[in-house]
Amino acid sequence: MRDFSYLRADTADAARQAGALPGAMLLAGGTTLIDLAKCGVAEPETVVDISHLKGLDGISVDGAGATIGALAKMSHVADHADIKSRFPAVSEALWQAASAQLRNMATIGGNLMQRTRCPYFRDPANFPACNKRSPGSGCSAIGGVTRGHAVLGTSEACIATYPGDLTVALVAFDATVHLGERQLAVDDFFLLPGATPEREHAIEPGEMITAISIPASAAARRSTYLKVRDRQSYEFAAASAAVGIEFEADGRTIRDLRVALGGVATKPWRARAVEEALKGKLLEPDAVRRASLLAVEGAVDHGANHYKIELAPRVVARAILKIGETA
Amino acid sequence: MTVHELRTRPADSKRGDASDGGALAGQVGGRLSRVDGPAKITGAAKYAVEQQLDGLSHAVLVESTIAAGRVRSIDTAAAQAAPGVLKVLTPDNALRLNTATDWLGTPPPDVPYCPLARDITFSGQHVAAVVAESFEQAVAAAALVKVSYDEAPVIADLSDAKAGDGIPVDAMTKEWGDAEAAFAAAPVRICAAYNTPREYQAPMEPHGLIAQWQGDQLTVWEPSQWLDGMARTYAEWFGVPFENVRLVSPYIGGGFGSKAFAYGYGAVAAMAAKMLGRPVKLAVTRPQTFTAYGGRAATRQTVALGANAEGQIQSIVHRGVNETSVDGMWVEPLGSVTSIMYATPNFSSRQNVVRVNSVVPGALRAPGENPSAFGIECAIDELAYEVGIDPLEIRLRNYAEQDPEAKKPWSTRQLREAFAAGAEAFGWSKRSPEPRSMRDGNQLIGWGVAAGTYPVRRAYGEAVVRILADGSVEVESSSIDMGQGTYTILAQTAAETLGVPADNVVVKLGDSRYARAGVTGGSRLAGVMTGAVHKAATAALDQLVGLAISDPRSPFHALQPNTLVVTEGRISSPRGDGPDVPIAELLGSVGRDRIEAKGDTMPANSTPEERYKNYTTIAMALPHTEGDYSRHSWCAHFIEVRVDEDFGTVRVSRVVSALDSGRLYNPKLAESQWKGGIIMGIGQALLEEGIVDRRHGRIVNNNLADYLIATNADIPDIEVISVGIPDPHSSALGGKGVGELGIVGVAPAIANAVFHATGMRVRDLPITLEKLI
Amino acid sequence: MTSRTSIHLTINGHDHELEVEPRVTLLDALRDHLGLTGTKKGCDQGQCGACTVHVDGQRVLACLTLAAQAQGRSITTIEGLAEQDGTLHAVQAAFLEQDAFQCGYCTPGQIMSAVACIREGHAGSDDEIREYMAGNLCRCGAYPHIVAAVRQAAMEAAS
Repeated sequence: MRDFSYLRADTADAARQAGALPGAMLLAGGTTLIDLAKCGVAEPETVVDISHLKGLDGISVDGAGATIGALAKMSHVADHADIKSRFPAVSEALWQAASAQLRNMATIGGNLMQRTRCPYFRDPANFPACNKRSPGSGCSAIGGVTRGHAVLGTSEACIATYPGDLTVALVAFDATVHLGERQLAVDDFFLLPGATPEREHAIEPGEMITAISIPASAAARRSTYLKVRDRQSYEFAAASAAVGIEFEADGRTIRDLRVALGGVATKPWRARAVEEALKGKLLEPDAVRRASLLAVEGAVDHGANHYKIELAPRVVARAILKIGETA
Repeated sequence: MTVHELRTRPADSKRGDASDGGALAGQVGGRLSRVDGPAKITGAAKYAVEQQLDGLSHAVLVESTIAAGRVRSIDTAAAQAAPGVLKVLTPDNALRLNTATDWLGTPPPDVPYCPLARDITFSGQHVAAVVAESFEQAVAAAALVKVSYDEAPVIADLSDAKAGDGIPVDAMTKEWGDAEAAFAAAPVRICAAYNTPREYQAPMEPHGLIAQWQGDQLTVWEPSQWLDGMARTYAEWFGVPFENVRLVSPYIGGGFGSKAFAYGYGAVAAMAAKMLGRPVKLAVTRPQTFTAYGGRAATRQTVALGANAEGQIQSIVHRGVNETSVDGMWVEPLGSVTSIMYATPNFSSRQNVVRVNSVVPGALRAPGENPSAFGIECAIDELAYEVGIDPLEIRLRNYAEQDPEAKKPWSTRQLREAFAAGAEAFGWSKRSPEPRSMRDGNQLIGWGVAAGTYPVRRAYGEAVVRILADGSVEVESSSIDMGQGTYTILAQTAAETLGVPADNVVVKLGDSRYARAGVTGGSRLAGVMTGAVHKAATAALDQLVGLAISDPRSPFHALQPNTLVVTEGRISSPRGDGPDVPIAELLGSVGRDRIEAKGDTMPANSTPEERYKNYTTIAMALPHTEGDYSRHSWCAHFIEVRVDEDFGTVRVSRVVSALDSGRLYNPKLAESQWKGGIIMGIGQALLEEGIVDRRHGRIVNNNLADYLIATNADIPDIEVISVGIPDPHSSALGGKGVGELGIVGVAPAIANAVFHATGMRVRDLPITLEKLI
Repeated sequence: MTSRTSIHLTINGHDHELEVEPRVTLLDALRDHLGLTGTKKGCDQGQCGACTVHVDGQRVLACLTLAAQAQGRSITTIEGLAEQDGTLHAVQAAFLEQDAFQCGYCTPGQIMSAVACIREGHAGSDDEIREYMAGNLCRCGAYPHIVAAVRQAAMEAAS
């Protein structure tokens, strides 16, 4: 880790100002920044510690939805009674992420800024070529070990998987990211790599995430997060799905459906085609399985990650059937 | 800094339950809690690199970023100028060291040794090192060292076209009968290839050391499975007498085969300490643990079984290959289980090694036996389905009543008992034989069985036992405890032999100044050291009793007895008449402050050279088939898996294992070690794989988030059953091996269970989800 | 540039002043600067749990926490878990009784994690214990015994 100066921000404004200086980076939970600094990927000149800021860790839930402060810890949100009852997919995505210790450290704002686990991205000494790290240097992953890489949203410049869980649920339920005054749909907050994989979020210098909000919905209330991985716990997803469902009064016809994928795409991936195919239909296993195949429309594999194209629709279908069949 | 001294707590000296024959906890065979436990659960146990030394400086390695070629130049200017930097070591300024004797005792060639490479044979090789005042400064400066290379083509792994067929290892050839002809003539034939990937020991404590020179005396604090062997290596590297090197390793945070040798980074740290005249700490980083020393070699085997329609094996033809490095030799004996598990009139096993651009592979829990069992124990399962016989029944039909290879009787082989006990506890008889015939919702359920074995490796050992003025007892040995329970079982051995409470025994280990010890590996230590301590304690007891009888000041002197007994720390006449005094009182009355005895199990006429060789090489290890018997531990694993039919994920839901390790010195600790082996086997079967970027010849998942070992959530409750009986041919007190055994056979039991669950036979480990969807 | 900063840490109820670079992690501050080596370095990258300590009562990883960041918070390490007179915490005693460790290197982290796991209310069943203790890797494979120890200590805490 290169040396840096440490600055503890007392107010959000001070944090924003300090964070806008060249070479400055905001430090909240530290689970991404300190990790990447040790890898040699992040090289801050100044670390602006925002973890002691007051008033940014609140969780409030009412009839309109939930608002979660950027400094709320993942563990607290996961265990929050109203989040569990009204947004179960959010709670489930959180407690299935990382480990209990990391969830006690990591904040919701920091979670949105989590970066890829691509092994080539994380090892600059051995793999200098990485368009995400050094624009224009090339992609070491293409042609290399790709078992964990994305099949959706990739470009010729980058195939790195977005690794998080929470935002998969957030994108499914149309959450909003609050950057102080400016607000942004979470789906728009995350950028596709395209030709500029170094740019991952629609956040400008001097901006800081202050909160996220999730509108209440019947689909969010009846939702789940299904995460499939090699190891039972403490691992990123091979494929995951956040799914929420609302039935018509008959209890069988799908009025609203939300589907988003994790572990298979370069950003949290809303699968609207699956939603549209099933809205207005009865919840019927074969139809669900057929429609779930639309989740990977346009998917491109790079050899060892081909299984994700097979796996992701199955995860989606299982999640829909699971949440649809439980009363 | 002193080695931690330990006393057992009185609260632990309770009676064992009926499962261990009712042995007192403090005696051999009792369930005494770990005597080193209190230090470990309070944070008081200081591991090697945790010593706090004045003037300590910190070294960080710079590793090659290519896998083959040559270092063209190293630009150290920026690193030299970085804050706190004391030294940048490269091949250009490194001290000239000697090549050291290898672990087999092979005399070294008279060529210099440099732990920093110019010729690169694998990615991650040490090419330079930076020493600085602080750890952070050293890390930052190491990143500033610029190395340029001339690259050469890489041989990435076994499947690389440039790798070729490799080098035949004639010593691995085992043949009897006419295996190929018998296979060709057999009515039932199966033949398949079984592959295991690179696997890593991944002990939770990364490797590293602190080296300090005082004149020509070197002290090394380093986690070690072999103090005397490593001390010899350091001594030879630096050209100082063996006695000048002290290795200290009171606790070892897991080794699994990886901490038996001094490696290149140790030479770097000791060299830096010598050049700087300051103690140097070098902590290998977690990513570096994948290249600073070798894990288990990737292996490939083909197993051909010829049988009759009743499933009786008529021939086994086995061919194996393992990876080794470009400039080192590692043979993973792939025919070791194949040749002894089942009776067969015709057998052929041959093995090649293939050179690839990797660090030289090394020992990892049950080297040889582990992958060997994966081949033969899957193959016999395939044969069972081919002939329509229960997988347990076919193993009994082919039961080897004697060692088929050595043609000698087994010393003890409780494998039939293991099959019976395991099957009973597991409920094997309720198994539905057809694949895909058991399910629970989306989960396909499979039951699999496999056997395992590990040879009883024997060696000579020594120990010092001291009875002190206060009646307490000290045991000293330069052997080690990396979690197997050496501290505890040696306290139990001394306590039982001397007749004192176990909590009056202090065991001191992990310092090469103590009585010498050979390598801790191959499950040999417990048998070797309980024998040595028993012998030393017996000698101490003889001295004590002799003193009591012969010294005129002793209260027993006037009684003129022939002998005396010691129980619970008190000495008395066996008839119960006469005095009954504490040991301390007797020693006080005869004016002695201690009784000391050194016991060793070496042949009486051994020369000093033979003793040195015994403790610093493995050249004097006793073959497991020496004399009239073939000695092995045995086990049978019964495992239930649940496979998600859509996702291909495999979870182990139930394990029952029955194991024959002979007599258990402490069942509580032996059970823990067995379970540990089984759990490592579950990870091996389902998760563990070093993944090579074949363009770069580099392991890309060199960390604990990407090289997956099992977590708590992956492991069900595990039932282990001891079916062993004391084996007098294997060790002085009747034990066989414990630590290596548990893992052998786990991976095939799981692969067999996955086949039973899914009808899909996965022959490449690990069994990951994409292989099942 | 090597900037040093003066920080004040409260560890196991004791106050410590130390001069360190801002980049020094809480883990290295404990082990290298304060001699509190009970907190272990297993991976130094947030992947093993060996460095688990409590900060303001919450279990966290010391390897991904800057020492400077912990100023003003209350830190508890394995050395501060037993009572002053040496009486073991119930979780420590249960680990010894259940033989929930072998080499002992992951053990301080396991114990700190287990104490918090019970306090969080995540020790309600064996499966819940397994999931909420999954962030502490143990290569010796003491997991079933760790589950038994956590279960035992949780039951003692509840009674």
